[in-house]
Amino acid sequence: MTINNRKSSLRNLIKAEYQKIAFLKSSKIFLIALIVASLMLGLIFALTTNVTQGKAISEIPPIDVISACMLGVDVTAIMLIIFAAISNAKEFSTKLIHVTLAVTPNRKRLFLSKLITYFLLGTVISLIVTALTFLAGQLILLANGRPMVSLADPFFRQFILGTLFMPVFYCLLTVAAIFVFRSGGGAITFSLGIMFVPALVKMFSQSIQKIILPLLPQASLHSLSGIASKGSYEILGIGASILLIFMWIGITSLIGTFQFVRKDV
Amino acid sequence: MIELKNLTKVYKDKVVVDHLSLDIKPGIVTGFLGPNGAGKSTTMRMILNLVKPSKGEVIIDGKHYIDLDQPISKIGALIDADALNPKLTALQHLQLIATASGITSSRVIEMLEKTGLEKVRNKQIGEYSLGMKQRLGIAAALLGNPETIILDEPFNGLDVDGIKWLRDLAKDLAKEGEAVLVSSHLMSEMQAIAERIIVLAQGKLLADMSVEEISQKSYSGYLRIKSENNSKLEDLLKKNGAYISKGEEASLQVRNVQSEKIGILAKENYIAIFELTKVQPSLEQLFLELTEGKVDYKSK
Repeated sequence: MTINNRKSSLRNLIKAEYQKIAFLKSSKIFLIALIVASLMLGLIFALTTNVTQGKAISEIPPIDVISACMLGVDVTAIMLIIFAAISNAKEFSTKLIHVTLAVTPNRKRLFLSKLITYFLLGTVISLIVTALTFLAGQLILLANGRPMVSLADPFFRQFILGTLFMPVFYCLLTVAAIFVFRSGGGAITFSLGIMFVPALVKMFSQSIQKIILPLLPQASLHSLSGIASKGSYEILGIGASILLIFMWIGITSLIGTFQFVRKDV
Repeated sequence: MIELKNLTKVYKDKVVVDHLSLDIKPGIVTGFLGPNGAGKSTTMRMILNLVKPSKGEVIIDGKHYIDLDQPISKIGALIDADALNPKLTALQHLQLIATASGITSSRVIEMLEKTGLEKVRNKQIGEYSLGMKQRLGIAAALLGNPETIILDEPFNGLDVDGIKWLRDLAKDLAKEGEAVLVSSHLMSEMQAIAERIIVLAQGKLLADMSVEEISQKSYSGYLRIKSENNSKLEDLLKKNGAYISKGEEASLQVRNVQSEKIGILAKENYIAIFELTKVQPSLEQLFLELTEGKVDYKSK
């Protein structure tokens, strides 16, 4: 009996992780729905400024129209959190992880392959939604006889790049959190908690905000996209923002890997 | 070759596997027996590194499982037939494993054909019966053409054809030189396929020997004798170290003496023998004998 039995490489593992997503019809439907929902909600945010901001599109600066439309990317981040949590938690709940680990007993390698796969998936999805919502915002401006924004403007480039990174960050955080909690609910709660905790912190005194807000990933994401308002506690330098983001993913991944390697499945 | 060295697993204060040391030998089917909670599945999971030993280790060709370059070509395992994503098809399930291991798609098709699943390969696993899931698990276990096959309760849910197929498959794999470790609670199946039996109870190794050896040592195995003068023969045999008890229809149940010796003694003492039968215990009797008083879960 002859078979082609090559050593399993990280590339093979990433391909297998991709297949776990691509083989499932429900995953494909969810990802298409995610893109459509993000775009539709972005359009709704941009077209309802008279309700949300009390001003018509013609009265607000073009950047506000674009940023309202690109709020659709926030929807992408939330839906990617749910997708990453459900997809990976299913592997534990169906016990398919036994088969996966029998084939790939090196758990750190398996963890890394999942992280890379979801980084690539998150990047592609985020690119599509960011491009679509940006274009939709431009079309709204055009339809309302307003000047379109130019990508030659460094502020817009930074804004788009920063916005693009947000869903990828939360997607990776959720994948790492799955290995910490081994439950979809736990991972979703953790990632959404991290996403919304700044709003809660802002209810506390300035002295507390000053300590906590710069440590949360939102400060990094807002600083990277250039929307952290001057003088706020969220404003960080580019280097510090990137470092903080890596720390959040790194620490969650370290705890996740430690738990995954140490605990029985 | 797989070596289990002093393998121990403790959950809180319960010892599930207790200093287990044994080898899994190539070229034979080894039956892994034990009552519920004996530690069979935990041992199998420790071999695959799914469960970490509290003490001891498992060595596969001089390495730990985690350090093997291509583990799927060393050990193929069916641990839980339900460990499947019900939304995938059989083809997709095997394709995932093949992709992760760098195995060609043609091997996937070959395994689907070998396990009789080629006609339902595009059907979602959620629609499969337990027997079909067992076949799929076996296909996955064989995918890497491994040197050792580990099957945990593989007969569960299989129909008559399936049982015969699996019996033949296990024997054929052993003939090809592969080590086959099968756990089952179906004693008749184990008796039909296993050449070597490992019995565990309460995590401890109770027996590791061939089926023949185990029969010889068993209290349930004996020689049934009917003669023209049972009392005289009984005295003679007792003097030669036999253990004797009275059997049915004026027969004697004799243990610890070979049949040849009985024949010679009877001839020398002019006692006509009417019957001299070797009564072989069933594996079930042997198992019950070995695990007497060592069962965690017993119905009243």
